[in-house]
Amino acid sequence: MQYTDCALIMGANPAENHPISFRWLQKAKDNGGKIVSVDPRYTRTSSMSDIYAPLRSGTDIPFIGGMIKYALENNLYHKEYVAKYTNASFIVNANYKFEDGLFSGYNEDKRAYDKTQWAFEKDAEGNLVKDFTLEHPRSVFQLMKKHYSRYDVDTVVKITGTPKADLLKVYEAFCATGQVGKAGTIMYAMGTTQHTVGTQNVRAFAIIQLLLGNVGLPGGGVNAMRGESNVQGSTDFGLLYGNLTGYLNAPTSTDVKNATLAGHLEKETPKTGYWSNKPKFIVSLLKAWYGPNATAENEFGYQYLPKGNKNYSHINLFKAMYDGKLEGAFLFGTNPVVGGPNAGKEKEALSNLKWLVAVDLWETETSAFWQEEAGSNPSKINTEVFLLPACSSYEKEGSISNSARWMQYRWQAIKPLGESKADLEIIHELATRIKGLYKNEAGPTAAPINALYWNYGEGHHPDIDLVCKEINGYDTTTGKLIAGFGALKADGTTCSGNWIYCGFYPEEGKNRAKNRDKKDTGMSLYLNWSYSWPMNRRILYNRASCDPNGVPYNKEKAVVWYDAVQGKWTGVDVPDFVATRKPGDAGFEDPFIMMNDGVGGVFAPTLNDGPLPEHYEPFESPVKNPFSSQEINPAIQLFDGKFNERGFKADFPIVATTYRVSEHWQSGTMTRNQAWLSELVPHMYIEMSEELAKEKGIKNKDEVIVSSARGEVKAYAMVTKRFKPHKIDGKNVHQIGMPWHFGYKGIATGETANRLTPHIGDANTTIPEYKAFLCDVRRAD
Amino acid sequence: MSKPQKSTVKVRRFSRAFVWAHAVNAISFFALYITALPMYTEFFDWLYPVLGGPEGARLLHRIFAVAFVTPTFIWVIFDFKGFKLWMKELVTWKKRDLEFFTEFVKELFGFNFKHVRQTFFNAGEKINSIIQILTAILIIGSGIPMWFPEIFPRALVQWGYLLHNVGFGLAIAVVVGHVYLSVIHKNSKPGYSGVITGEVPAWWAKEHYPDWYDEEVAKGNFPDIDKNGNPKKPTSPDKKKKKGA
Amino acid sequence: MATEYVKFVDVTKCDGCRACMVACKNWNDLPAEPQDFSGSVQSHAKTTADTWNVLQYIEHEDSKGNLDYLFRHSACFHCTDAACEKVCPENAISYTDFGTVVIDHEKCVGCGYCVNNCPFEVISLKEYVDKNGDKYKKANKCTMCTDRLEEGLQPACVTTCHTGAMEFGDKAEMIKKAEARVKQIKDRYPNAMVYNPQGVGGTHTVYVLAEKPSVYGLPENPKVPTSAVIWKDYAQPIGKMMIGATTMAVVGAFITNTIISKKKNGKNEDGGEHHE
Repeated sequence: MQYTDCALIMGANPAENHPISFRWLQKAKDNGGKIVSVDPRYTRTSSMSDIYAPLRSGTDIPFIGGMIKYALENNLYHKEYVAKYTNASFIVNANYKFEDGLFSGYNEDKRAYDKTQWAFEKDAEGNLVKDFTLEHPRSVFQLMKKHYSRYDVDTVVKITGTPKADLLKVYEAFCATGQVGKAGTIMYAMGTTQHTVGTQNVRAFAIIQLLLGNVGLPGGGVNAMRGESNVQGSTDFGLLYGNLTGYLNAPTSTDVKNATLAGHLEKETPKTGYWSNKPKFIVSLLKAWYGPNATAENEFGYQYLPKGNKNYSHINLFKAMYDGKLEGAFLFGTNPVVGGPNAGKEKEALSNLKWLVAVDLWETETSAFWQEEAGSNPSKINTEVFLLPACSSYEKEGSISNSARWMQYRWQAIKPLGESKADLEIIHELATRIKGLYKNEAGPTAAPINALYWNYGEGHHPDIDLVCKEINGYDTTTGKLIAGFGALKADGTTCSGNWIYCGFYPEEGKNRAKNRDKKDTGMSLYLNWSYSWPMNRRILYNRASCDPNGVPYNKEKAVVWYDAVQGKWTGVDVPDFVATRKPGDAGFEDPFIMMNDGVGGVFAPTLNDGPLPEHYEPFESPVKNPFSSQEINPAIQLFDGKFNERGFKADFPIVATTYRVSEHWQSGTMTRNQAWLSELVPHMYIEMSEELAKEKGIKNKDEVIVSSARGEVKAYAMVTKRFKPHKIDGKNVHQIGMPWHFGYKGIATGETANRLTPHIGDANTTIPEYKAFLCDVRRAD
Repeated sequence: MSKPQKSTVKVRRFSRAFVWAHAVNAISFFALYITALPMYTEFFDWLYPVLGGPEGARLLHRIFAVAFVTPTFIWVIFDFKGFKLWMKELVTWKKRDLEFFTEFVKELFGFNFKHVRQTFFNAGEKINSIIQILTAILIIGSGIPMWFPEIFPRALVQWGYLLHNVGFGLAIAVVVGHVYLSVIHKNSKPGYSGVITGEVPAWWAKEHYPDWYDEEVAKGNFPDIDKNGNPKKPTSPDKKKKKGA
Repeated sequence: MATEYVKFVDVTKCDGCRACMVACKNWNDLPAEPQDFSGSVQSHAKTTADTWNVLQYIEHEDSKGNLDYLFRHSACFHCTDAACEKVCPENAISYTDFGTVVIDHEKCVGCGYCVNNCPFEVISLKEYVDKNGDKYKKANKCTMCTDRLEEGLQPACVTTCHTGAMEFGDKAEMIKKAEARVKQIKDRYPNAMVYNPQGVGGTHTVYVLAEKPSVYGLPENPKVPTSAVIWKDYAQPIGKMMIGATTMAVVGAFITNTIISKKKNGKNEDGGEHHE
């Protein structure tokens, strides 16, 4: 980040929520870099920025769509990069159409698209048809240009509420990084993702970054700032409901091909790109999980894997719970009664469980949901709740992975308090005891449990080093650690619990997550500090920082290059490329090795809601969509009935958003129990403009009630100049914001903002739309 | 050597109210002085344990501060006439008042001196009174913002510290002299019993405040006495009649 | 004398994270002091006996109506001529070799003179209860972590600051840096200035401010209060002299009286001559 020429911060407030990132932004500023902040509210990040532009929550796609148009029309894009390193030159199937907010292939009943309509055109041999002049009318470049021609500045301004001058200042500053040798980065967080168009918001960032040639170089990229120190690690390790570890897709029963391992492998494995190695990763994973019980004869235990047929996202799990379809739940360090969307309903849903196991540092609003203090009637709730005391990070050993994919080992600082245990120990005890219970049983339920290879030592405390070794992988016959995922095999002779981490523990006694060498190995990459997957590469797709001949676009900020003398790729970073690939070799000019086609995807025919980001209004919005008659994302799953009441402009004319503060973390369980942090932000409040306060007769510090279709929340009013009404199509649209950390437990208490938020999610990830919904505000008295 | 016996005839110089007022004033002044000393200079820090630590000293100082404010009210309420006389004396300055000072220095150090004819209060007492009044106003006035700094502007509190300190210095300087004269200096000693009992030997009163004495004699309040204090005429029955109020 | 150090605070690099506040409480073991809702993000109105540094949040509109959101780490300035040190009646406040101003709790009697004379209003009294249940007070403020400095460490707030808004180092070097920084940011902050007020002989916390001091509630030209100077430099010594002189006078008088009265025994009782 410190090497960036311009950082566009959108949907994020790093000064408050990711302060350490601001250490590097400050360095960028010291080096002459510009910081741009786009946010509904003037935040601390805005104050640290050179340019600030407000926008109404939920209008990121018009904002960036307008920027795409601006870059294309003013010839500010990186032409060579776009032509060679992206799929802009690809020709799209003639079936592809876009009309009135809908892409071709839409099925209204299923609220889903037939994505084959958007496929790329191939010649008779099955090769992609490309036009490097980018002039073919069905080339991605021309389709994109046409698509975003509708996002002219005036329309954008009319819907985002951004003053035109500010909008143009942002466009000008950021598009300047399209110049060869310049780097711009986009930093985003949950302000981008927590929308019904969250994935497409990020896609819009990716498109502009590819157009400006800003991916794969220092100071570039689309940088997700994680909401938690180990979000990267947890998604790497299969936390997402659709994933096994290492971003391997979990097999579902909805596709008949998944009935066998062979079918699954065939379905999952592309012919080209690095993912063509996928069978090696899947089989090695099965070998890690089932050990000697995974053999070629039993499809390496593939049949032991559960194959679901549903969407198992947070909202859907709670919907199932609400409908009485779930018996029990394990909640590890999660507090949905504060953090979940439409939290009042999530609390109700919990009471339909027979049992609930909560693993946490404190009793949370969730594990105490049945108590009178929580507003419940204990005599009417039959849920049996078990609260297992967990250790804090300082009381246990392990690793976390940051958003730069560094796996950093952490040692135990203090002994666990009381009877608290590390999550790993709790899981270990559970696994060994459950295995013990099924030991003498047979049948389809017992088989996967008995087959599970649980070899982390005897006793209550698992040997964490054995866990590390299994994650890295080893030769199943010799037990020798694998040096890197390039050496994994699909024949069952290797195992690896998470192929992307394979290589972090390449030999005995060399756990590279424990590396702590503070020496700058060049370009501030610190290669010997911790381990960054894959293969310790610090900048993904760094091949794209060089021109097609392998010469860095910016010699001062060179990280990798092709060394003709040595005949290989070298540099201060580990090349994210086949090091020995020479000029003239196939794929020498294709930097995006994980993409099937080796190039960056301007056009993404794989997403559920369209190959190009298109603006739809949030689920609840006070504004009509000027771009089409599709008001909301046509591909989102709708939840109706009491589980998700919907509010409309007539009753709830004010846009609301939620956010965090520096001092509290997530649902506040850890921070609201900490006196020094609680004193810094001790009260639940909402922020509103002076204009709205005046309209509502509210004074600063007054107690107010915020209501939505789903509930009411009492809070203090913080009337501030930092919120201004948005001028949408000439009219004032008010917006308020509030922190979502509060609950009634702990030292700093307050009402829970998420009682107001809706049960609606993104079309691809089902991440809830916490960031834009409708509300009203009134004085409490 | 035989010495002529001084008469024990006494006359009332001060009202009871004044005696009380003076006593309260004197006691609270010294209490304030003692409790303030360790704050004035760390040379007297050894007083803290005696006074119950800084907190105890502060508490006592505040209790006596309230006591210190009361004498004026006692005098005004119970002996307004006397108070008025005092006020009148303080603003009346004549040539003899200046002469007094040259003689006073001689008297102070025990040399031969002349008695300059004085009224109820001599010039020295008047100076003492004036300085004491001024310093009392200074000390009380500055003490209030020091006590309640939160309700006064900071500047006032800051100047309060200075004025309290100045008032303290002045008051002490004057009081040291005042006390010396009354308690130790033998020529003034009868004055000491005067503020304790309200009465002084008639001879001493006549010697030190002849104008006043003669005035009272003329009014028939005091007996006319000779040099040794013995009545020139038979003592009138009302010789102990209260003066003033 | 050791090298003179200053804490250089560049408020234009501060992102208001308040880690300095927590680091301070952590190192100095200070309890939390939750406040009522203030109507702002700011947690405490000003520094207190248990909160030695407070991050100020200021919504400032310039003359053109442009909004700025300003932050300032506020704590003791450690003045070269410290009013608190001057007015302390107990010599409990002193300068260290590092240039920091520290309060000796052994000597402090909790009079509050320092509290009311500090031009920056950063000192506060704290009430304690001893083992007998008796209450007593002591003055408290930022020590610039003098205990850390003695061990060769930097102040806790500086160590924790992640944007480099705070630095601790050689005085001359820090002031040079501050001046250079002001030049650098003049475009963004035309009123930017170095705040190292000479009225108190310069301070050991030197700021680069984005705006005029008054915007931050700081005095434009702070100095040791004139009253304190007169008090401590003139009134107190003169007062002591006066008391001394008067005491000397009465002692002298006592001695001369004793001598003279012995000589004149038998004369007029009071030695006075009547001139009737």
